[in-house]
Amino acid sequence: MVHEFTCIVCPVGCRLRVDKGGEVSGHKCKRGIVYATEETTHPTRMLTTTVKVNSRVAKRLSVRTSRPIPKAAMFDVMQALATVEARVPVNIHDVIIHNVAGTDVDIIATRRLAT
Amino acid sequence: MTWDIVVIGAGAGGLSAALAAQDDHVKVLVLEREAVLGGILNQCIHNGFGLHEFEEDLTGPEYAERFIDAFHERGIDLRLETTVMGLHETRNGFVVEAFDRRAGKLDIQTRAVILSSGCYERTRGQIRIPGERPAGVMPAGSAQRYLNIEGYLVGKEVFILGSGDIGLIMARRMTLEGATVKGIAEIMPYSNGLTRNIAQCLEDFDIPLYLSHTVTDIRGADRLEGITIEAVDEDFRVIEGTKKDFAVDCLLLSVGLIPDTMVLESLDVKMHPHTRGPKVDHTFHTSVEGLFACGNALHVHDLVDDVSEESRRAGRCAKDYVRKSLGKGETQLELIAGEGIAYTVPSTIDLSRFDDLIRCAFRVKRKAQTATFKLIQDDTVIASRKARFVAPAEMEHIDIGPDDLKGGHAPVTLIMEV
Amino acid sequence: MYDYLIIGAGISGTLIARELSRFEARIIVVDKENDVGNHATLANSAIVHSGHDPVPGTLKAKLAVQGNRLYHVLQKELDIPLRKTGAFLLVQHQEEIPGLERLHRRALANGVETPALLDAQTAKAREPMIQEGTLAALDLPSTMVTYPWEVAIAAMENAMKNGASLRLNYEVKAITKMEDGFLLESTEGSRLRSKVVINAAGTFADRIAAMVERDVPYRITPRRGEYYVLDKAVDGFVKRVLYPLPGKNGKGVLVVPQVHGNILLGPTSDYQDDKENVANHAADIEKIRRDADKLAKDIPYDKTIRTFAGVRASSTYEDFYIEPSKEVPGFYHVAGIDSPGLTAAPAIAKYVADTLLDIGKHYPRKSDFDPFRTKTRAFRSLSDEEQRLKIAENPRYARIVCKCERVTAAEVVEAIKGPLGNDTLKGLKKRIRAGSGLCQGGYCESEVLSLISEVTGKRPDEIDYYRKNTPILKQETKVGR
Repeated sequence: MVHEFTCIVCPVGCRLRVDKGGEVSGHKCKRGIVYATEETTHPTRMLTTTVKVNSRVAKRLSVRTSRPIPKAAMFDVMQALATVEARVPVNIHDVIIHNVAGTDVDIIATRRLAT
Repeated sequence: MTWDIVVIGAGAGGLSAALAAQDDHVKVLVLEREAVLGGILNQCIHNGFGLHEFEEDLTGPEYAERFIDAFHERGIDLRLETTVMGLHETRNGFVVEAFDRRAGKLDIQTRAVILSSGCYERTRGQIRIPGERPAGVMPAGSAQRYLNIEGYLVGKEVFILGSGDIGLIMARRMTLEGATVKGIAEIMPYSNGLTRNIAQCLEDFDIPLYLSHTVTDIRGADRLEGITIEAVDEDFRVIEGTKKDFAVDCLLLSVGLIPDTMVLESLDVKMHPHTRGPKVDHTFHTSVEGLFACGNALHVHDLVDDVSEESRRAGRCAKDYVRKSLGKGETQLELIAGEGIAYTVPSTIDLSRFDDLIRCAFRVKRKAQTATFKLIQDDTVIASRKARFVAPAEMEHIDIGPDDLKGGHAPVTLIMEV
Repeated sequence: MYDYLIIGAGISGTLIARELSRFEARIIVVDKENDVGNHATLANSAIVHSGHDPVPGTLKAKLAVQGNRLYHVLQKELDIPLRKTGAFLLVQHQEEIPGLERLHRRALANGVETPALLDAQTAKAREPMIQEGTLAALDLPSTMVTYPWEVAIAAMENAMKNGASLRLNYEVKAITKMEDGFLLESTEGSRLRSKVVINAAGTFADRIAAMVERDVPYRITPRRGEYYVLDKAVDGFVKRVLYPLPGKNGKGVLVVPQVHGNILLGPTSDYQDDKENVANHAADIEKIRRDADKLAKDIPYDKTIRTFAGVRASSTYEDFYIEPSKEVPGFYHVAGIDSPGLTAAPAIAKYVADTLLDIGKHYPRKSDFDPFRTKTRAFRSLSDEEQRLKIAENPRYARIVCKCERVTAAEVVEAIKGPLGNDTLKGLKKRIRAGSGLCQGGYCESEVLSLISEVTGKRPDEIDYYRKNTPILKQETKVGR
């Protein structure tokens, strides 16, 4: 399978192609090759989203993954968060869920909600 | 009680300006309409903030918390849930007319004011999209608030007009929350968003981007039922025979932001026709003595890091103004946006206070792979800088110092050569 | 059993109800919408014309001139906004001069107050932003502007105060003639009986009439009019209503200062089959600009905050059709009320009560009729001292919800709960202007929504934007899908 995507390493935005054998083309610099290889072998993303919270000032608490998760796991994590409710007070970077959806990554709060 | 400086708005701009303005001798009061500090950053839950300011990749709320922590540590005076409705000049400053949810109507005396009230979104009416007017058409930022703060999706089948970063970010957010985003239309032949957002917000979810397209019809008597997009030529005229219909229940508009300067209504402030914020000199002083402006209330920024940096300078200038009683100088050197430049901030340089390098912000009119920016005074190039990948959506900067000036008080023009 | 049932809670229906409520009769107004004044009354030029335009001798001419005068009475009694702008009708070409003179004569014949022909210099001195090249003007000083939604709301509130009833969300499905009157049935199966039925159903008048009559004497030919709204920051750009010379499609595109300081540009005039579709069209948006530029120079289009369209209930009958049914006694038409319908409405109401129905013959006057409506004054219009008193009374006056129009949380709550309360975003916008400003609700909408939710107990996603089934929000997230 041939993968085709935009390089995000710099503003040039090269259109990268990675063929079946892992050969990269379309890059204008070496950093593009590294990115392309990562993207095709183990693409990861930082997931930022929200969970329910019983706060006076917001109905949702903003959260993120403690580090990037496999791209393919994004919707599994979203699913796991659909039933979670955080309780105030919440401090920034409090762990809301440990090892979410078996990713070995935590979900942490990105804001403080005292009440 | 009389304050030295009242800061209107406690978002990225106001927090940064207040931190820079306050010290043991300068009494600063911050007024914020919401119940919490941080402004729009609270709903910008995605990451990508702070790469310049902290050399870290933070989410909006995390970025705000850094400033909020510092703000509380310093014990700066604050009124939350307080809306400023007017500013009135007095002999030695201003009366700020404010409504505090708990304390009622307040007339707050101050020597100086920093306006950091942010911006508002352009609406459907302002860009005059034809069609019916059903529910389900709304600015992307409003939808972002409903989703990230209130916990509601504004639609399940979504189309987005405008490919700026807010539009791209919302495409991903709504998809993750279970909506189907059927496409984004952009009237320009290129996206105004960051490459990274094109890749991670659109390509990751196979959301099509229709460049050189715009929305030409909106249908639905009650709730939105569908829209039509059409291709446009270089002059943005619709090309016949390019209609595409989409059945959607929601159209988000990401079509621009405008500085919110409503509280200036009663003052005679000179406004900038392009930025639609006030005109300022290099000390962020508006045409009204004692009134300073920064952040998105001055001109709309694309990076919050730039807002913080600029507002810090504005805060310092306002502090100097009250501490050293530095009034507006007699001689204001004009800074003109010349060929290829949409606008500059500042609009003028106050020569009586021009003693150090200043950082001039500006936007280009066109996209270019490489460009040279030149400052010209009396037909002489007094400073220049080369740049790669310039675009209207990305704010540029150029430094200018007192030693650069060769032609006395003659205006300085900034141009772009491609 | 009601004595009078009025179908349609637009400006005509509500003012008729108020006029009838002066008498000891049982009165009800029904409307298929969830608020009064949701169709033609909602979207028009808001002008109280002088009455210069209709052909002398017609009902339109007579009732427009009378209506214009009656607005002064309504202002005192119902506390409605009225701005005495005056108007100039402008011409730019020599060949238009005879037309201008003809209109002057027509205005005099109709009994319009002090119409006058002005040369270009005089007109320019009084209205500096009129277009260069203006040749002459017809001065129509009795022209005014009002706030049509509020007139309908005020009229209905006052009618209700005097005993009339209102049934919203009542869409008439069938009307049956009975021995002693009529039986109405709604689409939801709700029945109402009345001795007399007055058909003031606007664009739907022919459809309602066909439920009763075999040969309806007119057909409604809806005409769409499109508009621009400029922000109130342009207040004073022109002081007067500016008209061109009327054409075969009506009065043409106008420049109209509004009571709150906005300026309207429009309307266009296009026939359409659809009775309700109020879409804007790209070609009309262009036409408005082209035509408005003929009247005024340097129009600040960059201050546009909205475009909208309305549908006029024009009919195949040239004049207003205000007649008893020729087939069925007790059924009355108030149909074909297009321009100058808003102007004529107070006179239409009197004409219907006194001439058409001759109500005084059947029912005695109420001794305790109260013609006055006391309006809660907008917080923004109060003095500093009054504002402080209000806040002391109710702290929610200190919470500004809509910054553009200075609307407080207390006012939002009152408008939801009021005598003719409404819990839609548009309904509140009509009543207190929350969301009418520059940001068009971007700033206040979510707070208004949560106030509606608080007062009514509705979930945020059950709250409508305007009509039924127009929620702003689609679905709550994180509900354990």
